[in-house]
Amino acid sequence: MDADRLRETYRLMLLARRYDEEAVRLQRQGELVAFPPMSGQEAAQVASVLALSPADMVFPSYRELGVAVGRGVDMTGYMLAFRGAWNGGLYDCRRNRFAPMASSVGSHLLHAVGWAMGARLDGRDEVAIVYFGEGATSEGDASEAFNFAGVFRAPVVFFCQNNGWAISVPAERQSAGEIWRRGEAFGFPGVRVDGGDAEAVFAATSAAAERARRGEGPTLIEALTHRFGPHSTADDDTRYRERAEVETARRNDPLGRLRARLAASGVPDSWFSDAEDEARLAVSELRASLAAAENPPAVEMFDFVYAAPPPALALQRSQLEELLGPDA
Amino acid sequence: MPELSMVQALNAALRHCLAAHDRTLVFGQDVGRLGGVFRVTDGLQHEFGERRVFDTPLAESGIVGVAVGLAMAGWRPVPEIQFDGFSFPALDQMLTNLAKYRGRSRGAYDMPVTLRLPSYGGIGGPEHHSESPESIYAHTAGLKVVTPSCAQEAFNLLVAAIRDPDPVIFMEPKSRYWAKEEVALEPAGLPIGRACVVRAGSDATLVAWGPMVHRCLQVASAAEEDGVSLGVLDLRCLVPLDEATLLTSVAETGRAVVVHEAPRTAGFAAEVSARLMEGAFGSLKAPVQRVTGWDVPYPSGAVEQQYIPSVDRILLAVQRVLDY
Amino acid sequence: MSDEFVFRLPDLAEGLEDAELVEWRVSEGERVELNQLLGEMQTSKALVEMPSPRSGIVRRLHAQPGDLVRVGDPLVTFEVDENNEPGVVGRVPREEAPPRRVRLRPPSQTQ
Repeated sequence: MDADRLRETYRLMLLARRYDEEAVRLQRQGELVAFPPMSGQEAAQVASVLALSPADMVFPSYRELGVAVGRGVDMTGYMLAFRGAWNGGLYDCRRNRFAPMASSVGSHLLHAVGWAMGARLDGRDEVAIVYFGEGATSEGDASEAFNFAGVFRAPVVFFCQNNGWAISVPAERQSAGEIWRRGEAFGFPGVRVDGGDAEAVFAATSAAAERARRGEGPTLIEALTHRFGPHSTADDDTRYRERAEVETARRNDPLGRLRARLAASGVPDSWFSDAEDEARLAVSELRASLAAAENPPAVEMFDFVYAAPPPALALQRSQLEELLGPDA
Repeated sequence: MPELSMVQALNAALRHCLAAHDRTLVFGQDVGRLGGVFRVTDGLQHEFGERRVFDTPLAESGIVGVAVGLAMAGWRPVPEIQFDGFSFPALDQMLTNLAKYRGRSRGAYDMPVTLRLPSYGGIGGPEHHSESPESIYAHTAGLKVVTPSCAQEAFNLLVAAIRDPDPVIFMEPKSRYWAKEEVALEPAGLPIGRACVVRAGSDATLVAWGPMVHRCLQVASAAEEDGVSLGVLDLRCLVPLDEATLLTSVAETGRAVVVHEAPRTAGFAAEVSARLMEGAFGSLKAPVQRVTGWDVPYPSGAVEQQYIPSVDRILLAVQRVLDY
Repeated sequence: MSDEFVFRLPDLAEGLEDAELVEWRVSEGERVELNQLLGEMQTSKALVEMPSPRSGIVRRLHAQPGDLVRVGDPLVTFEVDENNEPGVVGRVPREEAPPRRVRLRPPSQTQ
């Protein structure tokens, strides 16, 4: 990574961290229903998505705020999913090539593989990347996705963030083997990287994407990360993990590591405080835009079920509209 | 017009769609070189190449999951799940993703997936090869459920389903696969969602779909011998349901018997009779009757004819509505 | 519409080269059902019953009792119904009038 890109990575990681902290506060204030924080995973998320090109397609899970920030996804539309405004998110999937966030754990790996197969059928040199946790690798769909990707040499990057915990269940209870080694069983390479090292993540993801672009098929990346917070704002992680573990992780904060790396290369303090100011401004803008954003009207629940609503559905829509009156 | 079996008519429909639209893809287990376990895809890989007609690993969830991704990438997938009972490993992808993706993306992605599902019993199949899961799919908003009753309908409806922008669960009645009739291989151009009066009658209306349409026609012939005139309505499409034709047909006779192979409880006949109660109550001369499979897991092939609604069971129900 | 299907002598045991026809249980022109006994063959290892691989009409029996038939040579030619293969699983339902016992009383007679 060159110096510019490294600074850009830091800037976006910081932005993701500050959004993440704000989202937790917004939940505590009743503005969001629930939120799954990703603090601690910024290097894995931001550096990986920056290794892709804009035409590549991203398939996120629900804990991918850093990926969304790295991709330039509209934050208001993204956060509104956590206000319950729209399942899957209110952002424009096509503009950022960022699929609806998957909360059916592991099911979206297959969508990424199918999309990648489609890109390959078209002869386009586009790549799909799919983000998931180590818990998702226990799902049968993950194995089916690995297998299809291997058999069809699909241009897909499987990006597993192993943050050690699937809610309260530790990684060693998900799998007796090492996740990155599963690639070999399906006929493609797997690599393990330090998910707190932005440069290592960027290098591994770039190599995997280039391999896919060359038509050589998928790669499984296992990025070892830590989530500093609970599974979600509704979770109490003190019930299942030691504080010492979290403290150790925080001492190895990927943001701090990258800052030290940049500072050592001569980036001045003023640059960091400018980045902090920029993030603070963005966060306050997000808070304001969320407060101003209206939820889609209830009758929109009928509008995207089918391409055109069948008569019985159109009737149900008008019944609700009539009940709601001017509030519809 | 050529005389074709339903298998050949389905094959012709797939061939038509592959030729007419170069983003149509056919895939599933054994659909390529073998031509499918029922030969519905026979010769298609040879004609259209391995790029567009291909075998997949043995993984139903995988087949449906990649169909979702392929649709997102702008393709028009026509996957096959080999048998009704093996659609269950793919239920999560069907219910959670295929049915919901248009909504989850606020309309950004069409899901023009036609999932072909050889369905129902009557062929002496082993366990898990004779299920009637239509009400599971009909109960899942976002899916459409289409089921032909004869070769001509199979051709027309499959072409229409593949052209449809929404996900269609296309349930093919295996027990009617080999029945032949003259088939016009010109797409009728009609959208899915229309029921069809296949026999007019004045005393009562039999409502059915898929394999039970043929059974109801047998019942209507038997009734004719006794001087009773039965109409037969083929719903063809459970979602969207052609409620107007349903209500009109039943209102003309005032009596309805709804027939399906699936078990009785929460079967689609319950939905049909509820619609008749709501929309045709004033015209009904008798309570709507249901003749269905028993509330048991699909039995072994040796006794399946005692499970599937028989002519006699349907006639008894007809007598009940006539006598009321 | 019908097709011809030639049943060739399969390897009835591991590595068998030929077998002797002992007797036919069917004759030319006869309609046989799937798995109906066609005849018996004597291999170097055993006397083996030959079940019919298809249903259809026997058009030609290619050997006489006492003949030695080589593995792969034609044994029986059938005239089979086109497309009556059931696929991998199940069988083709018979197209016949289903049994009925119930007789209806028309509505005019029920009042």
